[in-house]
This record gives sequence, C-alpha cells and structure tokens, in this order.
Amino acid sequence: MASVKKYAAIYVVLLVLAAGKFVFFELDQVFGYWDAFTGVMALAVAKTALIMWYYQHLNEEPRSITYLVLGSYFLVLLLAAAATFSITSGVY
Amino acid sequence: MSELPPKSSVKRWLVTTNHKDIGILYTVTALFFLVFGGILALLIRAQLWGDLGDGRLMSGLAYNEAVTAHGLVMVFWFLSPFAFAFANYLVPLQIGADDLAFPRLNALSFWLYAFSGVLLGISFFQGGTLDAGWTIYAPLNLPAYTPSIGSTTAILALFMFVVGVTASTMNFLVTIHHSRAEGMGLMDMPLFTWSILLTVWMMLFAFATLLAVGLILASDRIFGSLFFDATTEGGSLLWGHLFWFFGHPEVYIVFFPALGVMFEVFQSFSGRRIVGRKWVIAALILIAVQSFLVWMHHMFLTTINLEIKTLMMALTIGISLPFDLIVFALIYTLIKGRIRYTTPFLYSFGALFFIVVGGITGVFLGAIVLDYEFRGTYWVVAHFHYIMFGGATALFGGLYYWFPKMTGRMYNELWGKLQFAVFFVGFNLVYFSMFAAWETPRRVFEYVEAMTPIHRVGTVGAFILAFSFLMMFYIFAHALRHGEKVGDNPWDYTRTTEWAVPSPPPLENWEGRPSFEGGSLNFVSKATDGGHASAHDHEGHADHASIWPFAISVSMLVLLLGLSGLTVWNGREITGVSTGYAAVTAIGTVAFLGSMLQFGREGFSAPQPAVAERWPFEGMDKNKLGTWFFIASDIMVFGAFITAAIFIRFEAGWTTWQPVTDSIYGLVNTFILLTSSFAVVLALVYARRGSKKGTMAAIGATMFLGLSFMAVKAVEWHEKFFIDGVSWATNVQYTTYFMTTGLHALHVLLGLMIAAWLIFRTKEGAYMDDDRPIELFGIYWHFVDIVWVFLFPLFYLF
Repeated sequence: MASVKKYAAIYVVLLVLAAGKFVFFELDQVFGYWDAFTGVMALAVAKTALIMWYYQHLNEEPRSITYLVLGSYFLVLLLAAAATFSITSGVY
Repeated sequence: MSELPPKSSVKRWLVTTNHKDIGILYTVTALFFLVFGGILALLIRAQLWGDLGDGRLMSGLAYNEAVTAHGLVMVFWFLSPFAFAFANYLVPLQIGADDLAFPRLNALSFWLYAFSGVLLGISFFQGGTLDAGWTIYAPLNLPAYTPSIGSTTAILALFMFVVGVTASTMNFLVTIHHSRAEGMGLMDMPLFTWSILLTVWMMLFAFATLLAVGLILASDRIFGSLFFDATTEGGSLLWGHLFWFFGHPEVYIVFFPALGVMFEVFQSFSGRRIVGRKWVIAALILIAVQSFLVWMHHMFLTTINLEIKTLMMALTIGISLPFDLIVFALIYTLIKGRIRYTTPFLYSFGALFFIVVGGITGVFLGAIVLDYEFRGTYWVVAHFHYIMFGGATALFGGLYYWFPKMTGRMYNELWGKLQFAVFFVGFNLVYFSMFAAWETPRRVFEYVEAMTPIHRVGTVGAFILAFSFLMMFYIFAHALRHGEKVGDNPWDYTRTTEWAVPSPPPLENWEGRPSFEGGSLNFVSKATDGGHASAHDHEGHADHASIWPFAISVSMLVLLLGLSGLTVWNGREITGVSTGYAAVTAIGTVAFLGSMLQFGREGFSAPQPAVAERWPFEGMDKNKLGTWFFIASDIMVFGAFITAAIFIRFEAGWTTWQPVTDSIYGLVNTFILLTSSFAVVLALVYARRGSKKGTMAAIGATMFLGLSFMAVKAVEWHEKFFIDGVSWATNVQYTTYFMTTGLHALHVLLGLMIAAWLIFRTKEGAYMDDDRPIELFGIYWHFVDIVWVFLFPLFYLF
C-alpha cells in the first residue's frame, strides 16, 4: 500500500485530468470537435489507468487480475466498434 | 442457521447450501422444465400435423406463444441448468474441494433459477406470455407488438434467471481458480471440469451482456424508454448486436458441458485417455475466444454492411477448425480403445453423431449466400436442434453415467439401452424430417401441401421421442427403489476423483484433505488421495444451511410479478397503474430488502481451504477474487449500455446530437466522485493503522460525497423533468442519457448502502483487525468512479 502523500498526489493529478477534459471542449477556438474528442478520450483512459493501478491496487494484485479487467474492456470496445462499423455504408 | 436436516425432510431441500444437494435440485428442476418445454413442443408438432377436421389445435397467437416459450424454456431453463446440475455435483469432487467457494450464493442461484421459471409459468395467465420468438427480436419485443402483461413478465423472468446465472458464474470461477486440491494444476483437471471452467469464462462476459439487454428491455417495457424503438432500423439492429453478442457464445455455453460429459464417458468406456488431450484443451480455449468474434453471422439478412458480413463468414469458418480437432480426437480415442457399449456410451456416441450432422449443416449457414436462402427456414431449426439437443443427448448420457454416484443405485442396463434406441429413432424422425422439409418457413405453421407427409413423420417422431423420456423416468424411478446398490465405483475404468469416494459421497466429501501432490490426476479406478489425508486444513467449521437464499428468491418473484403490471400501455402512453400490481410490488420490495438484510446479517461460515492450487490468482482471498469477477461482469453491463448509446447516436448521425444537459453538472459530479474515491482510499489507510475514528470519518466523508453526487443528480434531473419538460420517453437521445446515468446512480445508491453498513460495523469495532471488507468496498466504489469517467464526456461533453 502506498503512502498518503502518494495517494494525495494521484488525487491531484486526477483532478487536473478531469478539468482537462472539460477545458478541451471549452476552448473550441483552439480545438476542433474531433481533436477535443480524441483528447478527452485520451485523458479518460489515463484517469482510468491511474484509478485502477493505484486506488484499486492492481499494482499489488496478480497480473492476471489486470488481464481480466482489460479483457472486459476489450470486449466492450469490440462490441461497440464492430457494431458501429457494421452500419457504416462500406465500400461495396 | 447451520444444522442441516436429514434428506427425508422437506426443510432440508429448502435450506441446503451443499453442492451435492443443489446438484440434485438442479437435476430435478431442469428435468421438470424439460417436460414443460417438451409438452410445448408436442403442441407445436400437433399444430404442424395440419387441419384436425375442425381446424388447427391452437390459434395463431397461441402457437406463437408456444414456439416462444418452448425456445426460452429449453435454452434457458432446461439445457444450461441441466448441465450445471452435473457441474454443481461434480466439479468440487473432481478438483478435490469440499464445496463451491460461496455455498449460500450457490443456493441463491438455484432458487433464483427455480422461481424465475415459476414466474415464466405465471406469465401464461397474464393475458398470454411473450410471442416474439426465443430471440425476442425488436421491435416485436416492444409493448406495441407484444402488449400483454405476460410478455413483460416473461422478460422479467429471463432477467431474474440471468441474475442467478451471473452469481453462479462468479461462484464457479472462484471455486475452480481458488479451491483446487494441492497438486492439481489447471492442465491436470478432468476434462469435464475444464469444459465447465471455459463455460463459466464465456458466461462471465456473455451473460453480463444479456443482463444488460434484459435491463434495457425491461426499461423499455415498464418505464417507456425507447432503446429498441421501432421508428428506425437502429433499434432492431441494436437488439441484434446485443442479443447475439450473448447469443453466439451461448451456443458454446450450452454445448461445452455436453462435450465435457462426452470426454469423460468416452474415456471410461473406451478404457483410455482422450487422444491429444492437451490439443483438445487448446481447441476448447480457442473456441471460447472465437465465440465472441462471430456473432454477426446471425445477422446476415440485416442491413449490416458486406465487409463485416464477409469478415464474420471467414471467422465462422475459422471456428469450425478447432471443433474438427475435437471430433477427430473423440473418434480416434474410440479407435484406439476397447469400447464397452453401456447406455452412457451409447448416448455419448449418439451425441457425437448428432453433432457431426448439426455441424456440417451449420457450415451452410456460415456462408453468406447460402444463409440468404436457408435463414428463416426449417433448415435452421433442424441444424439448431441437432446441435443443441445433440448436446442434451450427451447430458442424458451423463445422467446415466453419474446416476449410480448420485444415488448409490444402478439402473437396469438393458432397459437403458432399449430406451436409448427409442430416443435415437424418435430424435432422427422429428429433426431429420425438418431437413427434408427445409423450405417450410420457420415459426409458421402453414406450409405447402406437398410437405404434409414429411411434417407428419416429424410429429410421429416427436411423440416417440416423448415416450422415450417416459421410459427414462421410469427406469430411474425403478432404480431408485429397486436398483442394485453400488460401491465407490461401478465402472471398470475411470479417471476422476468422484469415483474414489462412496456413492453418494458424504456431506463434506472427504475424510481428510485430498492432494494430488507427487502424482497426477491420471489414476485408475479406486486410487486414493496419496496418503495425505489428515484433518481438514481449513480455517473453521463449515455451515450448510440457510433459508435466506430461498426467501430472497421468493420475494424477488413477488417484486417482479408486481413490476410486470405496473405500467398499462396504450401504444406509447401510460394510461394507468394497477393498484393490485402496485401493492404486490410494495410487498415484494419490502420482503426482498428484508431478506437481503437477513442474508447479510446471518453468520454463515464457508471457510476457504488453507492449502490449494490457485494459479493464476495466487495469494488472493476468495472474496476479493469474487469481487474482481463481479467488476469484470459489471464492466460488460455498463459496456452494453454505453454501446447502445454510441450505436444509436452513430445511427442518428453523431454530430447531429448535442449534450442534453449543462456540462457543469457533469464536471461538479466528476470532482465529487474523484474526491470520494480518495476518501475511500483514506478509509483503508486508517483501517490498516487501526484507527477506528479515522476509518469512520473517511467512510463518512465518502458517504457525504456520494450523497452530494446524488443531490447534484437530483437537481439536474429536476431541471430536465420540471423545467425542460422532458423525460426518458421524450426521444431516444434522452433515453440513453437518463437510463445510462440512472443505472450509474443506482450503483452509487448501492454503494451508499454498503458504506452505511461499513460505518455501523466499524462503530461496533469491526475491520480494525481485518480490513478486507473496506478494501472490497473500495474496489467497487472506484469502479463506479471509473464508469463516470466515461459517462461524463459521453453525455455532458460530446
């Protein structure tokens, strides 16, 4: 288990990342819609990784737990991406 | 409650949590549903006979109900539970465990299953049950097309069933990964246990998706949300994706345990190990993975694009390759062995024949152009039954095989063989005739006159098949009373541990601790535990009885029955609420919460083995491992909701939608949840330091922040409802927003209830020596935070 200081530091980083997501869409003169979209998703993934690794203590568990969780996320991604792709117009 | 009444007492069967008792309960209940589904099948076949002189047997609507209920009952309430009857009874015995990891949860799974079936039965008397087919396609699944209250009840029954299955899935995963006896590595496990392990891995992801589908559909039917709204094709395609993402793995979920039975029976009655055992296991793993990659081959006739159809066709052909390996391994095992033609062997061999026929005819359906021709015809029905009922055939063989172990009595072998012969003839008459009449449209009872003789052959076959089951029940009933008593092992050659204990096995399975250290599982007949048997190396005495799983399940039935009639539909308008159903809902809610509370308060000991093989989850407490499996499952539930939101928005044109609410609400709640996550971490830190005050303060802060989150949510929703005048029934965008964030809010609410319990227990002095419950709560609470990390941009920024 990490020290309180380390947990507090991670908390501050998480707050900054959360604010960053909001800022992307506030600065619409700087970022286009899809730039902001990509940036927000990147920050969301970073936040998730931090929470899982340090707050849920995946760093202290057998690595197979990480693979288990990543497996679930992968299947969600697969379902969402493949389903959505299936209704694009396609080449043919 | 911990003392277990004798088997002659009815009370025993209501309170037992022992895995062998639960296995017996599953067996009897699943066979009941076989009869239920079988009677529906006979009604269908009678209808297909043709005009009976004064018309058909059933009205069109009644026929549709019979077809739908037959499919649902056989797929959900018979096949898988029948397989899990064996899994319950045998997996702990095969891996050298005393019981499942969570015996009370196991009892709860069973009673949820049993009472969900009762709920389905009740649905027939509520203006008719669901008549949309077992695939429950949208828009047929919406109240506009299936308006009866019974239709909603059937959906809720399926939901209740899936809740039980989800609990069972986590239980088996933890058991097999956490309770294997010393020396039993994964590769040493019997093939039946392997088949169950891979089945529950598939179930973890597939049934979680079905759970979400059930929630979404129930929300559409009861609360009037519009996920599967019929106004665009997106609704029906969304159903197709979500349902078949579950539905295709479900084929293997049903089929793998049957394969597991075949492996064991082929080994026992050929007198040799399965040829290419390691490759067979590798093939099973590959199929389990591939099962999640081919779901759209069930959607070739929809408007999904040709690229994805082509990819799915290639992947579908790919999945047949590991199956070929398994079939050849089975055949070669027989060639290399000396076969003894007992009834279990005949059933397993018959199943192999059916699977080959079903598999070959299924390849046709995997090809896009052929599927265009065959889809929607009796070809599919025939193929499907050769595979699914072919699997059931192996399970019947399993029943004959393990009957002596479960009862201590032997059945009459000659009668068994005769019964198999009648079964085999009936099976092929009813299902092979469907190939001959393949041009008949599926789910329709009218067909061209030239098909009449073929369909009549099928109907005769169905009644022969039904008669074979009467024979089977008689054989078992006779054996129970008059069968010859058997010892530990009635068969000449066996390879698994259940045959090394008495028939039936004692309550706690073993005299001492089983161990496979220094040897392997590959022992012959009456091998013992290698001399390691001593006192149980456990942390305490195990309890075996609790009434609360039964009580929770009954009250959930009442609650869902009440919910089914709460909304009265007139197209899309809510026209009234039945006070009777409202009262039933209230009673059910109170009873459910009360029994859940008692379940939580009951002191029930299910110690984990001190010595066990746990790869790849070494060093983990079983509760923590169970929590992680739950999180993995919950990711899929939220994933299905999020997929629905993304899919619907994409179909509507992504950028045509704007966020439906002010992003500041989402941002504030993001900060609140992040802070609450930090507070939970602090609670764990204080608990480890032994600071009662600090722990209570930190959990209290978590609660305060959670309540603050709910308060912001309340303000946000109030603005939507009462100022903007919108709700989830306004349009599909609001549906995704309200229902997905609503599901998240429910998770927060559940977390708050747990937090309140933790504060209460901390005040009593708990958790200072054992902080594991706080850690588990933290894992859950952080997950709720993570979900919000994605919901915030999806509904407040994009």
